[in-house]
Amino acid sequence: MGLNLIFWILCFFIDLALLSSNFYQLVILSDLEADYLNPYESTSRINFLIVPEFILHGVFCALFLFTWHWFLFLVTLPLAIYSAKLFKEKKHLIDVTEVFRALSAEKKIRLVKLAFYLFLLFVVIFRVFTAGMILFYSSEFGELDIRSSFLQF
Amino acid sequence: MTPFQSSGPVVGSDTPGLRPTAPSAPQSTTPFSSSGPVVGSESPGFRPVPPVAPQTYIPEASGFRPAPPARFNDPSVPPPPTSYAPPNAGPLPRFPTAQLSSTQPPPSRAPFVGQPPFQPPPAQVPPPQLPLRPQQQMPLVPMGSPPQNVNYVPASTNVAQSPSDSSFPAPRPNFQPSFPGYVRQQSSADSQAPPIHSPFPTKQGGAPFQTTASSPLVAHQGGYVAPPFGFQSRDHMQHPSSGPPVGAIQSLVEDFNSLSVGGSIPGSIEPGVDLKALPRPLDGDVEPKLFSETYPLNCGPRFLRLTTSGIPSSQSLASRWHLPLGAVVCPLAESPDGDEVPVINFASSGIIRCRRCRTYVNPYVTFTDSGRKWRCNMCSLLNDVPGDYFAHLDATGKRVDLDKRPELTRGSVEFVAPTEYMIRPPMPPLYFFLIDVSVSAVRSGMIEVVAKTIRSCLDKLPGYPRTQIGFATYDSTLHFYNLKADIFYSSSFISFNLDILLAYCLANKTAKINNHSSLTQPQMLVVSDLDDIFVPLPDDLLVNLSESRSVVETFLDSLPSMFQDNLNLESAFGPALKAAFMLMRQLGGKLLIFQNTLPSLGIGRLKLRGDDQRVYGTDKEHALRLPEDPFYKQMAAEFTKFQIGVNVYAFSDKYTDIASLGTLAKYTGGEVNFYPNFHSAIHGEKLRHELARDLTRETAWEAVLRIRVGKGLRFTSYHGSFMLRSTDLLALPAVDCDKAFAMQLSLEEALLTTQTVYFQVALLYTASCGERRIRVLTAAAPVVTDLGDMYRLADTGAIVTLLSRLAIEKTLSSKLEDARNSLQLRIVKALKEYRTLYAVQHRLAGRIIYPESLKFLLLYGLALFKSTPVRGGYADVTLDERCAAGFTMMTLPVKKLLKLLYPNLIRVDEHLLKPSAHDDLTSIEKRLPLSAASLDSRGLYILDDGFRFIIWFGRVLSPDIAMNLLGPEFAADLSKVILSEHDNEMSRKLMRVINRLREKDSLYYHLCQLVRQGEQPREGILFLSNLVEDPIGGSNGYVEWVLQIHRQIQQNP
Repeated sequence: MGLNLIFWILCFFIDLALLSSNFYQLVILSDLEADYLNPYESTSRINFLIVPEFILHGVFCALFLFTWHWFLFLVTLPLAIYSAKLFKEKKHLIDVTEVFRALSAEKKIRLVKLAFYLFLLFVVIFRVFTAGMILFYSSEFGELDIRSSFLQF
Repeated sequence: MTPFQSSGPVVGSDTPGLRPTAPSAPQSTTPFSSSGPVVGSESPGFRPVPPVAPQTYIPEASGFRPAPPARFNDPSVPPPPTSYAPPNAGPLPRFPTAQLSSTQPPPSRAPFVGQPPFQPPPAQVPPPQLPLRPQQQMPLVPMGSPPQNVNYVPASTNVAQSPSDSSFPAPRPNFQPSFPGYVRQQSSADSQAPPIHSPFPTKQGGAPFQTTASSPLVAHQGGYVAPPFGFQSRDHMQHPSSGPPVGAIQSLVEDFNSLSVGGSIPGSIEPGVDLKALPRPLDGDVEPKLFSETYPLNCGPRFLRLTTSGIPSSQSLASRWHLPLGAVVCPLAESPDGDEVPVINFASSGIIRCRRCRTYVNPYVTFTDSGRKWRCNMCSLLNDVPGDYFAHLDATGKRVDLDKRPELTRGSVEFVAPTEYMIRPPMPPLYFFLIDVSVSAVRSGMIEVVAKTIRSCLDKLPGYPRTQIGFATYDSTLHFYNLKADIFYSSSFISFNLDILLAYCLANKTAKINNHSSLTQPQMLVVSDLDDIFVPLPDDLLVNLSESRSVVETFLDSLPSMFQDNLNLESAFGPALKAAFMLMRQLGGKLLIFQNTLPSLGIGRLKLRGDDQRVYGTDKEHALRLPEDPFYKQMAAEFTKFQIGVNVYAFSDKYTDIASLGTLAKYTGGEVNFYPNFHSAIHGEKLRHELARDLTRETAWEAVLRIRVGKGLRFTSYHGSFMLRSTDLLALPAVDCDKAFAMQLSLEEALLTTQTVYFQVALLYTASCGERRIRVLTAAAPVVTDLGDMYRLADTGAIVTLLSRLAIEKTLSSKLEDARNSLQLRIVKALKEYRTLYAVQHRLAGRIIYPESLKFLLLYGLALFKSTPVRGGYADVTLDERCAAGFTMMTLPVKKLLKLLYPNLIRVDEHLLKPSAHDDLTSIEKRLPLSAASLDSRGLYILDDGFRFIIWFGRVLSPDIAMNLLGPEFAADLSKVILSEHDNEMSRKLMRVINRLREKDSLYYHLCQLVRQGEQPREGILFLSNLVEDPIGGSNGYVEWVLQIHRQIQQNP
């Protein structure tokens, strides 16, 4: 059972990293729009983060698959496929020459991702707690705890 | 303020060229021309005429307030053809009868803004004085029409006139019969108006000249209202004295034009459009005069053109305007002599700008508080006037020193920028040449032409004595040239070389040094390590031209011979580019690339992805037109960052991937010049001219451009060759007079509260002389609340420019087919919207209607459809040519673009045969419609699209002419013949004509290409594909195109 808790805590940190990366990119894009940053710097900063973010998301998705968390796996899968597609078409990086033309679309994508990771974060936090609870209470209630079977989706 | 109140006869787009028909009957001329001022003037000028009882034409004419009678003889007023009368008069007695059955609606119309209600008094209808009554009537109607707003004569009203009603019906309160467009249409049609068939089976004999006083007006109006019936009577044509019924035929109510389409006309053959009736821009581009006359303080249209000078007042109105809403800016447009942009130096007071919105002081700011404050016209903030700039106000509130302040009286000025506007000292003009010396470059003779041209331009390079220059050549290795003329090097020559060698050995690079024996000779340094590029002697490769002049000259003289035996096939373009970047990084400047083959070595090498036919029509098609390797985009971005502008000259006969190479120019404000299959003997002169112009034209260095617009509006997208540095700042490392930028506008607020919107373009740049300057262009445009006004104030040239740029951009993200479809959809939507404005009231079913201001939109749309970047598919244009044309069209100013889209076609054989020695060019200035019907196989024609002349020899052109012009080669294969002057009058004459045409348009050198009729497939590719009105290879002809558009407009939304 301890393993389960460790797993969820790991997920929590991965999700937090993804969330903050997206948030950071969003801030940079807003700065670019407001002319606080020049396009060269902002694109290089964002492009530096994009591939690690994709890899991390892939890992995140794979973790759910290997730990047999079907629901979360299916939730994270579309984004993973989308990222892989972008990467394959070499469209994942922001093009500095056309950055202003793509600005609003890129912002929108990141906003959606932000919401998505926020949602995941809540789920993961919840699971961390349940895992922790179960660990804590398992000596007392054992398998009878209704929460454990109910929340094991 | 009502913008449309400017007075003066604005002869819109009508110029005499359109109407070649000569006036032959003075009687008809006078009345007709009295309507002149109305012609094309959508507007203003005319006040409702007080009831005058005109007895002759003169009084009528004098009814026009603003224009003295003399005006009416203005040559620009189209003289009506004699034949004009019959069509009008013919049906007169008949027509009312036909209309009698219609009901009599109360003809009162809502009064229009700013219009005093007008009641045409019966007195206005003059007693018949001349047999040509109907014409006499014509001016009358417009006279009474204050064309201030969209007023139209509803068909029903006219129909309501009883034929027996002997006078202009009095009971018409507020009725403003606004016929200006109508009249205009008429006049514009008279040269083109076709014999159109009338549905009325009238068999009117010689009636026209004997119409009674009572009927003409009615009938006349009826004629115009007739559109639903397609009133164009064939009988008139049949009338012995009528001749071709030019004019009068086109129905038109108000300020729109219409064309009858469809086969509803009895006896007419499909297609129901008469080709000759369709409007053609045979006068080239006509700048919208109304706009500049309403706001005389605006900068000239050569600098800034709005797609419509009526800015929509609300978002909902803007959304009904389906054409692009925006502007085309050509900030450095060449000024004609005597109209130069004044340079102003605010030495002590600093540049006057609004504190809040940073608008520069301009003619539209107002001074208040006895001259101590000024109000910004953009954000209406009150700013203090600096002490040094203070001047008292006179009684009218104007500054007393107004005449000494060009910035307050002119829309285009230049300010000298103080140090706050510099991040570094102004850079010297810098030219760096990167020349491909691989075997194909040597064989084509390109190197020689380039070297000679540069050498001949050394004196004319701008910025003497600060100009810097440098050269590098490359094949499979990079060659740099030490051009430093320094006494130190010559005295310690050997040690210098040793140093270099040592340095190279230390750096562990493979390098060799060719030094020539003479001391003034340049030294060549060769770098063959392409993976890790380094620049030897970074300080000596870029030299000051005035100091090293003799070395540079020696180098250029020896350059062609240096590589004449080079057999190297490779091209290390990418590494050479990187090296050039490293050299220029310190200063910026202009990089000229001469590329002859596909880059094959090192970073940035390109594959022969070629023109794969199978890719066309799939989703991957557009990728062919995009740079293949991200290296090019990265380099372009880096170049812009360091103020380097790139011009690409490409020469290959094989695939060179212009899509990738051109990217370098696209994002650095440069241009792409493509010479497919270059041979110095044929194309040498063209390259010489264009390179010389590139080197010697006035260039603005390290520039940024920003366009400001009043509150509530925002420029959202920019189209052209530049890179955006922030949301609204265009970075232009090197920009010149031949570059235009387009931008689109959107409304940020739902409703605009102001009456006028101001635009201000500011270009901050370093002039070649080393001065930092700001060019400020200011313009005002009225806010309108009516869609009709937007259409009326539309500028076809600007719209077409924006549409073409949008279409080309679309080809970069989707299929050609999609780009064409979206273009067509836009045109259809716009005309459909216009139709809903007018057609319902006027029952114009079966006619295509369009605003007067957009009468050429359909044709230019078709030309755009057939333009090189957009047309056809795989087989129609090679990929490289398509891309190169796309890059060029993205930078061209309005006038040049329109000429490229609809080239000039002129017939010259008659001129050549004329015995007169003097060069009267008027006879060849008549442009012909671009259709095979204009061609006579006995003729000699020149097609001039601004880039080349295609000289077409008719099949049965007299052999005499051909022999004289071509000399002994007249029977040879024309593709190999180069037009040159022969020793006879005719040939000299032709050359004079050609040179004259070239002078008029000096941006590109017009290369002469000769083609003979029937010489396939060359004729088809070169010449016939330019005849945009003809159906070629599955594409639409003009008539089919109009019909197709019309069908789509008719389809229910």
